[in-house]
Amino acid sequence: MTQDNDNGTPTDVSSLELLGAVKSFLMESAVPALSGRDQFNARVAANVLGIIEREQSINEDLFALDSKAAQQWLPDAEPGANIPQRLSRALAQRQLEPDTDFLDYLKARQLLVTAINNPRYASRAIAEKKWRTRDT
Amino acid sequence: MSPEQLTEQLNAALRKPLAGKVPGDRVDQLTRLSGGAVNETWRLKWGDTPLILRRRPFSADSVDNLEGNILGLSLKDEAAVIQLATAAAVPVPEIYAVFDAAHPVGEAFLMDFIPGESIPQRWLTDVNFEAARDRLAFECGQALARIHAIDSSQLPDTVAPTTLEKRFRVAQQRLHTFGDSSPVMQLGLNWLIDHAPKEAPCVLLHGDFRTGNLLIDDNGLAGVLDWELAHQGPAEEDLGYLCAHVWRFGQLDKPVGGFGHYEDLIAGYESIAGWAPALTTVRYWEIFAALSWGLVCQTMGALWHSGNGDVERAAIVRRRSEAELDMLLLMEAWEDS
Repeated sequence: MTQDNDNGTPTDVSSLELLGAVKSFLMESAVPALSGRDQFNARVAANVLGIIEREQSINEDLFALDSKAAQQWLPDAEPGANIPQRLSRALAQRQLEPDTDFLDYLKARQLLVTAINNPRYASRAIAEKKWRTRDT
Repeated sequence: MSPEQLTEQLNAALRKPLAGKVPGDRVDQLTRLSGGAVNETWRLKWGDTPLILRRRPFSADSVDNLEGNILGLSLKDEAAVIQLATAAAVPVPEIYAVFDAAHPVGEAFLMDFIPGESIPQRWLTDVNFEAARDRLAFECGQALARIHAIDSSQLPDTVAPTTLEKRFRVAQQRLHTFGDSSPVMQLGLNWLIDHAPKEAPCVLLHGDFRTGNLLIDDNGLAGVLDWELAHQGPAEEDLGYLCAHVWRFGQLDKPVGGFGHYEDLIAGYESIAGWAPALTTVRYWEIFAALSWGLVCQTMGALWHSGNGDVERAAIVRRRSEAELDMLLLMEAWEDS
């Protein structure tokens, strides 16, 4: 295992930094060197690393939001239960009434999920403005 | 199959069907084009003539466990529907040869190359396409009305009439098959069931009529591509699909495909069909289209897990979250209106 030396020069590389390094390689070396389908896929691969990067920083908030939702709508859920799945099944069986609180939870959740997967999706800016304004 | 192997197979397979129609004796410059989540699209030259090959790279058997036709028609049936569209004066490419899965080329068909732009980023905001964009919503309405008027008794058996109830059941089964992983998609399906319009007569639908599958030139609509999702259903479905957020490519203020307005689309439709689809029903189908897109994204994940596909297909799965966001926005807008 690597450690910082006495002068404080970092020698360790975090997983986020590794992702950044691979992303730079893909965009700066691989994409220009490739063509056609491979070039396209190299760009997709760089985007995928962006998803992983964002997921690492946002997942904690998502987990907290889902745990809170479980307390409210799945009081019987065991620890570690798959919360989105349990909620989906309750909805499918029409056992869960999607009231304003529940819809607000789904909207807040969706803003986080899209912040991971595609923060630049055009509808997201509209949703964020609409839903965040309502919160305040 | 490598491009070299495919070229060799095509050299042997195409001489007969192209004889007397397209001058040349061999395939040249076979290049795979980007895009196409299920089928491959290849460009090639036969003599001096550019042609397009649509090819399904995997056996249909590998996805048999996925209920319904979300992956679309066989290429043979797709070719048959395109040929009917030609006769109905819809702008589509001429088809020269069709191969089934047992053929050495693989399941595929060969068609004309129509000049024009399909990639949305190249024509949706470019000033050079402004005149084309201005008339495009009306022309799309006209083309859809012509497709919907095609005699359904001529269609392949796989393009059969269906009911909304069956569609809901298939969507529900698919959500279960995919592990009930999305409360938003389930909420959306419940909403669509609760707000279903009155059952309407089934017509032939293109099923994937949207920005990205349309060829645009200076004069407007030059070609309608990608017929693999053709099916039967109510006319408004195709109109709503074209207006879905995901197919506006960021131009959200232009509801028809990111380039036009509802009234022009509906007026174009009425000019051919003699009746005007109701805007509320069109908007219902926009929400249905968001659910369908979410399900397609999940299907891509299932396909990728079955060993079919590259990083692009794996990444598409994450775009489900766009469909979910749109469903929440659209259901809210509907309730607010």
